Order: sequence, then C-alpha cells, then structure tokens
Amino acid sequence: MRRIFCVAQFTFRELIRSNMLYIWFLSVVVFSALAFLLSILSFGEVQKIFMDLGLVGMEFSGLLVLILSLAVTYNTEFDQKAIYLQLAKPITRGEYLLGRVFGFFSIISLVIIGMGLFIAGLVTLVGGGQVPVLFVYSTLFLLIEMFVLTTLGLTFQMIGTSMVGVVLYTMFTIFLGHGMGQVDWLLNQKLAPTVKTMLRIVHFLLPNLEAFNLKDRIYDPNLVLGWTQWQEVLLYAFAYSFVVFLIGWINLEKREFM
Amino acid sequence: MTTPSNLAIHIKGLSKTYKTGFWFKPKITHALNNLTLDVYEKEAFGLLGLNGAGKTTAIKIILGFLAPTAGSVQVLGGKISDREVRNQIGYLSELPYFSRQHTGRELLEYFGSLHGLSGSKLHRRVDEVLELVRMSKASREKVSGYSKGMLQRIGIGQALIGKPKLLICDEPMSGLDPVGYKEMRDIFIDLKKMGTTLFLNTHIMDEVERVCDRIGILHGGQLREVASVSDILQSSVHVDYWVDVDSQDASRLAGTPFQKSIAENGGVQITGSSLSETLNLLNQRQVKTKGLRPLSSVMEAYFLKSIAGQSSTESGRASK
Repeated sequence: MRRIFCVAQFTFRELIRSNMLYIWFLSVVVFSALAFLLSILSFGEVQKIFMDLGLVGMEFSGLLVLILSLAVTYNTEFDQKAIYLQLAKPITRGEYLLGRVFGFFSIISLVIIGMGLFIAGLVTLVGGGQVPVLFVYSTLFLLIEMFVLTTLGLTFQMIGTSMVGVVLYTMFTIFLGHGMGQVDWLLNQKLAPTVKTMLRIVHFLLPNLEAFNLKDRIYDPNLVLGWTQWQEVLLYAFAYSFVVFLIGWINLEKREFM
Repeated sequence: MTTPSNLAIHIKGLSKTYKTGFWFKPKITHALNNLTLDVYEKEAFGLLGLNGAGKTTAIKIILGFLAPTAGSVQVLGGKISDREVRNQIGYLSELPYFSRQHTGRELLEYFGSLHGLSGSKLHRRVDEVLELVRMSKASREKVSGYSKGMLQRIGIGQALIGKPKLLICDEPMSGLDPVGYKEMRDIFIDLKKMGTTLFLNTHIMDEVERVCDRIGILHGGQLREVASVSDILQSSVHVDYWVDVDSQDASRLAGTPFQKSIAENGGVQITGSSLSETLNLLNQRQVKTKGLRPLSSVMEAYFLKSIAGQSSTESGRASK
C-alpha cells in the first residue's frame, strides 16, 4: 500500500510541475469572462448561468488535464523509458498502475474541486444566492466519471504503442461514452438484429458516461437522488473501473519492453 | 532448478527470437541463442559485444522486461518476479531518463521509498548515496539542469539506494566525457571493494580492464567465450605497436613476419605478442628505437580476435 502511495505522490508532483494547474487557471479566467458576458445579456438568470457554465468548464478542464497528463507521461514513461528503472524496483506492475491512477485522479480532483469552489463562491457572493445541493452532487458525479476515465486512459496507455494512439483512443471513448443516451434510444427503435447486436456490444464495452451526467438536471424538480441511485452509480463506476484496471494490469504484466 | 549458493546470476540455455515484418513474410531475428552463463557473487563481470550482439536483450531478460523464447534465469537464487530478489538488485539503464520535474534528491527519495525505506532511514540513505556518487551539492537542483554525467551519477545513485547485492548496468559509460567516465569508473571500483556483484554490459575495453574480474564475449547472440581478465592480460594475444625508427632502421624490419607497414618518415607498425617480445625483436634486428606505443590494448586485441571470423562486423545480430 505504501508503494502505491509513493507512486501516486510522485505522479502528482510530476504533473503539478508539468504546469497542469495552468489549465485550471485558464479555465477559471475563460469561465469568468464568459459568465460575466452572458450574465449581462441575460435577465435574472445569473446564478443559473454561473452554474451551467461552471459545470461544463469543470468537465472540460478535467478532461483536458487527463488528456495532457496521458500525453506527457506516455512520453516520459514509455518513449523515454523512465518506466524501466521503476519496474526494476521491488514494486509489482499492478501497484505501479494503481499508483498512477491515484496520482492522475488527485490532480484532476484538485482542478475540478478548485473550480467548483470558485463557482460556488461566485454564485454566493456575486449572484447573491445559495448553491443548490444538486450542484454539489453533480460535481461528485463528475469526479466519479473522471475516476472511470482516468482508469480507462491509463489502461490505454498500458496497451497503446504511441502517444497519439493513447490520446485518440481516450478521446474517442469519451465522445462515444457521452453518446450512450443516443445508443439507448437507438436500441428502442426498430432496427436489424445485427445492428442491434452491434449496438449492444458497444453499449456493453464502452463506459456509459451519461450515467454520471447531472449537469443538465440540477434544476429538474422531479429529480430524486436517493441512496439507491448513488449505490447504482458507485457500483457501476467501481465495477467498470475494476475490470478496465484488470485489463491494463494484465497488459502491463505481459508487455515486453524492447 | 537448484543452483550453487554463490551464484548471483545463473543463465541456462537462454534464447530470444523476434519476429518482425509482415505476417506472410516474417523476418526472424535471433537476438540471443542458447546463452548459458554464471556470474558469481562479489565478482565484477563484463559482458562484451558489438552493437546488436544481444547484450541489452540479455539484461532485459534477466530483469524481466522481456520474456525468453527458451531457457531460464535465476537471480540471487530466485526468480526476478520475486519482490525480495528485486529488493537486492540495482539497475542502471543506458542513458537513464528521469522525470525532468524533480530534483536529484527527490528522485532518490522516490526510488528509496520503492525499496520500502521511509522516514529518517530513507533520508540517511539518500545522503549516503549522494555522497557516494558525488552529487550532494547539486542534489536540490532540478534534473532538467543536469549534465549527462550528472544524470548518469543520479542513475547509479537510484540503482544503489536499496544497498543492492547485485548491480546490473547497461552501457554505464555511454556518452560520458573523460571526467565523467573516470568518476563512474571510480564508483564501480569503490562498489567492488564493498563486495557488490557487478554485471556490466559494455564495449569500452578500458572499463573492462580496470573494473572487471571476468568477461564474456557475446557475438551474434551467442556467447563466444568466458575468460578471466588477468588471464587475458597475461595471454599471448598479438597487439600492434607503432615503433618510431629512422628510415634506415625501418628497412631492417622489412619482410619480417611481424612487420605490417612502414611509413615514409620511418615509423613501423609491428605485431608482437607482448611488449617484451616486441623489444626482443627490435634488439635482435639492432634497430634503434626512438619511441614505441601500443596501437590497441590487450583486451581490445583479445576481443577482436574472439569475434573475428564472423561474416559481418557491422552488426553482431544474427538474422535469417
């Protein structure tokens, strides 16, 4: 456990010093500028604009940090072969991978929570309102989504043979993962059995990122988020991440370092 | 498989084959072919070979980075996958690369923590290692500002952080300037005195001559021979010498079986089995020498002799 923590801490420090937090800073500046511009144009909807834009900005900056971190560390670890010296140490490849997952997730969480607090501050101080509990829930769901995507991205890193490939696979999965609502809709339509089978396979293999999307529903009065819904989301995220992690671990174990 | 307790590395029948090219026309490369080798505890062993001879492949298989096509490896009496075995091994890769965002000290702390060190024990060990690799002063600077020699020294530092019984180095002198080279060599000599087993993969003969007890010569993925360095240095391998003589004297050496070439200004290149034999020859011929210098080291001559006869000298890799 201690070794996992060491890898996570090392990864976190590496990413922080790779100027990943500039993304957070940039997102805050862009978000603030957009939010103020739109609040001038709208009438009495300032809080809503802050929160809607803020949640999109949080997700965008989290994804950007993930993609850039994958690219930066692929270059260091695999292209420049920094991983050799680490794997020659008394650490299992599973511990190494789990440490990387936690290191990545720590910095992504820092960016998302940092931005969430900034938005909450704006809503309270500038908008003069209260932050709805669903905004907090939406942020937590986003963090869960980021954990799934971090595990997936790092698994692609263990499987991939180039930095571009890893980045493209991850972006492609994010794109399709957010389109699972449309896949669900298609599955309810009259389609050829082969097409339906293929859609079911896609639905089964790719992460259903819509399951973590509360952004569009924080003002939905009918939305009830009880313990059962939390359990479902957490269980799905944990099970999916676990399976993906296992695939990444097995690949790293089998990987030959030429 | 049982192995004698004094073996640091026991390699038996190790082979590695790579398949490249298209599936319908695969090119098979034999990087290693039936390598059998023992390295004893507390000795310094040098694995010599040309580029592509299979030296790095052998190291990668020993460390578990590559799976062998055939054969087996035991390290310190166990399997490399055992955590306890790896805890006793230090590894320095060729031109080691580190995350540029850390300082030398932070890197050593990280690698030390992977060995299970923590707290004051870790800090003490980091200080000791920094002292040993002469990096104490620059330890708080970021790695991005380090020279190649400094990186190599931090590299050896991370390999030593866990007080290894066995140190495996892949081309440790690669890219070093003469000062860096001497510093690294001194570190290896210090480690040898401390009783660390050294397994060096190199093609720098001077390093081998000064540091190693035994060598193995690898060519085309096959082990050509294993010999002790002291035996090689005392062997009757022919070394070329350059003798400065007057042009008149040079003519007296013409036609001898040892003479190889004569320069217009009087220099003669001759081949002798040793310095004494060469001097005897010059005395017999009553040649007045103005100067004499070896054109290659005994080790280099031995190595070249050992690999001679292969079809290709550009690459030591066998393929079909």
